[in-house]
Formats: sequence, structure tokens, C-alpha cells
Amino acid sequence: MRLPDSVTGSFLVVLGTAAAYGGWLLPPVPGQPVGPNVFPLVIGIGLALCGLAIVFGIGHTFEEAEELIPLEDGQAAAAPPQGKLYGLRALLPPALLLFYVVAADRLGFIITTAIMVYVTSTALGAKWKLALPLAALSPFAIHLIFGKLLRVPLPAGLLPTPW
Amino acid sequence: MLKTLIEAFALISTWEVIIAMFAASVYGLVIGSLPGLSATMATALLVPVTFYLSPIAAIATIVAASSMAIFSGDIPGALLRIPGTPASAAYADEAYAMTRKGQAELALGAGVWFSAVGGIAGVLSLMILAPPLAEIALSFSTFEYFWLALLGLMCATLVARSSPVKAIAGMFLGLLVSCIGIENPGGVPRFTFGLTDLFGGIEPIPALVGVFAVAQVMRAMLTPEPPPLPRRKFGSIMAGQWKLTKKYHWQMTRGNIVGIIIGVLPGAGADMAAWVSYAMSKRFSKEPEKFGTGHVEGLVEAGASNNASIASGWVPSLLFGIPGDTIAAIAIGVLYMKGLNPGPTLFTEKASSMYAIYLMFIIANILMIPLGIAMIRIAAYILLAPRSAIMPVIMLCCAVGSFAIGNNMFGVVTVAAFGIIGYVMEANGYPVAAMVLGIVMGTMVEQAFVTSLIKSDGSILPFFERPVAAILAAMAIGALLWPVMVWAWRKLKPVRTGMAATSR
Repeated sequence: MRLPDSVTGSFLVVLGTAAAYGGWLLPPVPGQPVGPNVFPLVIGIGLALCGLAIVFGIGHTFEEAEELIPLEDGQAAAAPPQGKLYGLRALLPPALLLFYVVAADRLGFIITTAIMVYVTSTALGAKWKLALPLAALSPFAIHLIFGKLLRVPLPAGLLPTPW
Repeated sequence: MLKTLIEAFALISTWEVIIAMFAASVYGLVIGSLPGLSATMATALLVPVTFYLSPIAAIATIVAASSMAIFSGDIPGALLRIPGTPASAAYADEAYAMTRKGQAELALGAGVWFSAVGGIAGVLSLMILAPPLAEIALSFSTFEYFWLALLGLMCATLVARSSPVKAIAGMFLGLLVSCIGIENPGGVPRFTFGLTDLFGGIEPIPALVGVFAVAQVMRAMLTPEPPPLPRRKFGSIMAGQWKLTKKYHWQMTRGNIVGIIIGVLPGAGADMAAWVSYAMSKRFSKEPEKFGTGHVEGLVEAGASNNASIASGWVPSLLFGIPGDTIAAIAIGVLYMKGLNPGPTLFTEKASSMYAIYLMFIIANILMIPLGIAMIRIAAYILLAPRSAIMPVIMLCCAVGSFAIGNNMFGVVTVAAFGIIGYVMEANGYPVAAMVLGIVMGTMVEQAFVTSLIKSDGSILPFFERPVAAILAAMAIGALLWPVMVWAWRKLKPVRTGMAATSR
């Protein structure tokens, strides 16, 4: 997900301008010179200026190259499988969290989290021999800690826990 | 004084505190030793649990878990050359070289011993520095607080190992996030886009969990799994540590002091302390040629440094609510929740709680020695756990933990969103710590800024009139202009830069 500086910088310019404009529109506190509008205005302008500086490459020389620890002779580097969609795998965790938001109330905590665990585990390369028991057991363990011990109201849904 | 101390002892000698501390120590050791799970993440995932504990027990878990995790990051660093936490990255190479020379015991023993010593030095600094600073801070007005907060934010951008412009941008992003909600000078919905969930603003803790935990799981999706740890028999781990202490006592002290200073600086934490101390050790060593070949000197200094920064990071946090590092940022959130609002009055009104915090730090660092040795011996078994088994559980903790903070699903959405934000920022060289600082300090900065402006009737002059305010202002503005000056300098002297680049 390494984007060119011009892209992230331009995004910041747009975001900063929008924030400053949005702040500008807020109603002031009657009888006071400053209100809720000042702070977003200052931040928005600052952010936009930073964005501009980044677009023009100011400060780029300060960036240190990421220090990768070189591999030993014995440890062969596993070449990551390349493909257009490979990078999208990174979006899986947030997608699963959103799935939890949508599904937990209907399916219940145990079923929803079992699906999450199975998918994450498989995506990280686990065989079904590991992923399946993990998906079956870890939701109960977490439910025991948070639901039972800490009394977090976790949704029961289709499959209520025995306790 | 003595009465407060006895009260503090009474506060921490309850079963709840003792059990919480022990459990959190084990938890911190395990999380810290697993590559890819940082000390900050360990602390962030603890927060939902602290909700259900008494204030002192809640702080005990954070103190214990963070101290232990910073040490145990050394274990995979020494045995696998993969640092368990970023704080151990500076000397992972060196420690691994020692293991290859057959000195794994010495490397790991130095890790435990000098971590514990460093931790205790950090607590001493907290005990010595905080009360007099609290004395001074009592006379601060909003002008001083404004400049202090600004100085804190600028420090975080100066020490980031990235472009200062990007760090400042990250800080502004954090401040912008803190603008969301109706908790502003006018009490009007700001940047809520009509969503009632946003009225309360973005809670710092789910944002932190997203940035440090979810983003880490996202990175794990794209990186290859680390190799398993070869099982080995260890000899005596503490043998020879006393000799090292005597031989390198000066390096150790220097490491402690550097760690304390970096810990106090807002935004710079254990990882920065370790990098600086390791570099310093090499620079001032009598035998710099031995560095990188398995020489224990750098380990002593950097190990003493990164743990010292943990406790001293609490100094600005407890006094001003300005986090000394990302772990302290989480601690501040917990302090507010538990009614121990940071501020100089904490030291006068809740003195026994403060003493309890000092005591817990000391106990945690002493406890580190036996638990750390045990951890080193069983590390090979813990590191057998494949990533595909750990990461899913981390995900579950993220989901449940963020839900538990407000008992609403919006927390989970926040975590997911900040996971993406943190991942993208990190991948593009925007330091996440700067944004975190902005989120945590935003409300305070705005309050100080707007109150000051109202007091001064819109004029800028009073911001500089009080002597302390003027000094702080000069420092903050200097920090802001520093990167510009360095940049201009490099532009004007291109030949010099070329030389500097090759010599580095």
C-alpha cells in the first residue's frame, strides 16, 4: 500500500481545506470572539500546508529507509506470492470486524466469532486441523472471560452459551 | 510522608492488586515475546479488562504488563534475530550474534538484569522529578498549558524516525479526529455528519486498539511467518551479570539517563530510547569495532535505557496529561476513567495513589527477574504457537474489547476504521505515534487555546507576557522551525549532505 507522496499529500490538502471550511461554517458562541470554529480552522490550514509540503517533497530527505534485518544464509526467504489481489488480503481484518458489527446481534457472539477466527486463521495459512478446533474453542474462552467474568453483555443470538 | 507511604502499601496489598499484577506480568511477558505483538498493543488490549478493576489494580496491570513486555521483546531478538517489540529492534542483531557465539545466556541475562535496573532507575526519576514539577505546575495558567501542550506535540514530531513534515501532518490528523463531537467550546455538533454515534466524539482507546492491534494483524496478512525457535538448553542465566554491572556501570548509568530523558519527552518511547542508547554506546565505546559481532556493551546500555523510559514516560502524563509515549497515552485514558485525572493536584490530593504507583513500578521490576528467567526457559514452547493461531484471538479481543468500552457496536466500527488508517499511514511513512498523541491531547490543546484566546480578548500578546509562557513559547516555536532550518541548511550545502550521507 505504498502510495506516492503526491497522492497522500494531495489527500491531506483536500482534507485540510474541507476541515477548515467546515470549521468556518460552525456558528460562533454569542458574545465571544472565539468559539468552536477556531480550532478546526487552524488545524485545517496546518494540515493543508503540510500536505502541500509533502507534495513538493519537502522533508523527504529525513526519511530513513526501513531497516530490514537481512536474512541469514540458512534461512531462505519465502517469496511472497504475487498477484493483483494479494494486497487486498490486508483488508480482511477490518472487513471481519465490520462483519461482526452487522452479524453479531443476529447470529450471536459464538457463531460470529467462530467464523471470524476460522477465516483469519485460514488466511494466515493454517490447515483445517488447526483452524477448526481454534474456531470451536476460542469463542467460548473469550466469552468466558469477557461475558462471564467481566459481565460484558455479549449478544446470545442463535446459540446461547451454557452459562 | 510516612503515613502516605503506609497508606500506599495498604492500597497495593489487596488480593485484587496482587493477582492483577501477577496475571498482567505473565500476559505482558507472553505478548512481548511474540514477534509482531508490541508492548503498546499488549497495553491497549488490557484496557477493557481494567474497566472492571479498582483504580489501583487497573494501573497495576498496565504498569506490570508494559514493563514486562519491553523486556521480553529481547527474547526472540536474541534467539531468532526477530525483535518481539520495536523497543528491542535496535540491538536484536547484536544479541543474535552473541547467541551464535554461544553466549545466549549472557545476552538474555543482560536483558533481564539491566531491564530491571533500568526500570527502577526510571521509577526513581519519576519519584524525584514529579513532585517539584507539580509544585511549579500549580502556578500554570492556560497560556502555559497551551504552549506546553504544543511543545509536547512538536517533540513527538521531532523525534519521529521519519520526515518531520509527515509527522506534523500525522499530529494534525490526530487533532482533527479530536475535533469530532459536541465536546467543544460552543457545545455544537462538529464534524458529526448527522450521525448520533459521532456526537460523543472518537474515544481514544478504540482508536489506539485499531492503530496498534488491527493494523498489526493486517500487516501479518502480507508478511511471511517467522521461523520457529530452535529448542535449546540454557545454562545459568544470571551468571556473570554482576561482573557486567561493575564493568559497564558507566554505560548502564548513561543508558538510564538517556532513557529517562527520552521517556519524559512526549511521544518518544522505549524504541527511540533503545536506538539512541545503542548508537551512543557504539559512539563512545573504547572498542567500537566489536559492535555487531556479539558484544554485550551495547545491550547493557540499550537494555537499561528502554526500560527506564517506561516509568519516566509517566512524568508528563501524571503532571499534565501529556503522554510521554504511546503506552502512557493509554494509561492516561485509564487514569481519567478511574477518576485519577492527571494534573499537579494529583500529587497533593491523591498522594497515596501516587506512592502506590511508584511502589508498583518497583515491585514489577523486581518481579521481572524471576518471571523473566522462567520466561526465557519456556520461551521455546511459547514461540511454537503459530501466528495463524494467535492473530485470530487478537482479532476477537479487538472486537470484544472495543465493544466493552462503551457497550456499543460503534466502538468496533472505530477499531476497524483506525486499523485501516494506521495501516495506510505506517505504509506511507506517516508516524502513527504522532497521530495518537494528537487524538489524546486534542481536547486539552483546544481548551487551553480557546480559553486563552477568550481571556486575552483575541489578542496574541498575552501568550508571551508571562515569563514561563514566553520560555515555553520560544521552545515550541524553535521546535517547529527546526526541520525548516535543517532543510534549508542541507539545500545550501549540498556537498556536505553528500558527505554526511556516505558517512552514515
